Amino acid sequence: MSHSMLISVAAICATALLHAAPALAQQPTEVQLSYSNGAFQPSEVRAPAERPVVFRVKNLDAKAMEFESKSLRVEKVVAAKSQGVINVRPLKPGRYEFYDDFNEKALGALNVQ
Amino acid sequence: MRKTIRYWPHSSALMYASIVLLYLGGFARAADASTWDASTWDASSWHEIETKYIFGFTTGSGIGIEGEKEFTVDSIGRFGKRDGHYAATETKYEYEFTPSQFVQIEFGALGSTHNIGGVTDLDNRNAAGFAGGFAEFRYLALERTSNNPLSVTLAFEPNVRLIDETSGERVHNYEFETTVNADVELLHNRLYAGFDLLYEPEVTWTATGDTVREATLGGSAALSLRIASNVLVGTEAWYLRHYDGPALSAFTGDAVMLGPNLYVQLTPKMFMVAAWNTQVWGREIGNSLPLNLSEFQRQRARLKFAWEF
Repeated sequence: MSHSMLISVAAICATALLHAAPALAQQPTEVQLSYSNGAFQPSEVRAPAERPVVFRVKNLDAKAMEFESKSLRVEKVVAAKSQGVINVRPLKPGRYEFYDDFNEKALGALNVQ
Repeated sequence: MRKTIRYWPHSSALMYASIVLLYLGGFARAADASTWDASTWDASSWHEIETKYIFGFTTGSGIGIEGEKEFTVDSIGRFGKRDGHYAATETKYEYEFTPSQFVQIEFGALGSTHNIGGVTDLDNRNAAGFAGGFAEFRYLALERTSNNPLSVTLAFEPNVRLIDETSGERVHNYEFETTVNADVELLHNRLYAGFDLLYEPEVTWTATGDTVREATLGGSAALSLRIASNVLVGTEAWYLRHYDGPALSAFTGDAVMLGPNLYVQLTPKMFMVAAWNTQVWGREIGNSLPLNLSEFQRQRARLKFAWEF
């Protein structure tokens, strides 16, 4: 591999690390969700922009659910009658959908402002 | 040295037939009323989709979900040279994972097959074998939000090959594929455009001791339409240029390839991709014949299956 390629890869790795660094320094915003009868409660939640978000998802149903979001780029299986914690990077303003991957109809959204 | 081979004259036809069947299978799966209800066709109830594999040979910007792991079998077939019979495939057996919300890493092994007979400048060959290995590092540089439809990923993919992709000869080949993968959501959850930029320098040491340095430069544009919650169909165009050397100073020819593609989410954790490109225009420096069949092929096809876990 040439020097220029090594420098390119090193620059990308450094940028990736720098991208993660602010998340370590900021206090996260906690978002509480419950999941029962195949639906999120509440189904719309809010968080401030440019701060990390922690979802605490309580699954009250008798079967497991999978909290998933392509735009948040997270997924977590939450067993029946238990709680899952999902950490999300600082987000830009916008609407981020999430759903139960085991139940197509269970949808929710995080509005970041 | 020319070898005697057992010809396989219908390989291209078999590949096309497989892709047509997969197309029909994808539509049938989407239209099966026993497994899909009205939400299959109602875009407002669809979940977001991962864009990495929805454009055929063009790679979208998606990097997956943090913690997600995937195993894929990804075969690319190349068919047709100026004369004789030519069919070559390379298959990636790939493990892919996303350790953070900005980075994706892939690595795996390569297998290849070559069926070559009567092609000028290539030995006759009928062989299959382990061809090498690869790794890929993908970094999401610009992420899509509901306010910004554009997403951009930078990708670096070093490859080591023990079998030459084109000729099937034993070699030592080192390739460093560098791409920019971008896509735009034109209609929410419905219509996507993808764009790739490619720079692929490589060096090859042949069995006779020769050293060959070359590079491929290219770009693509693709459109993909989600026609059901689990099915996307699209088309793409590639423009590829070949150089004898990584500095892009010795231009040897270029080509334009066009073709359709299909993406089917078979289950929540399994999907397949089928794509086919045909060379519609090309030129070789020093050769007035149409198309560039020295550095590229008449047609190429891709078939990929992936399992997430």
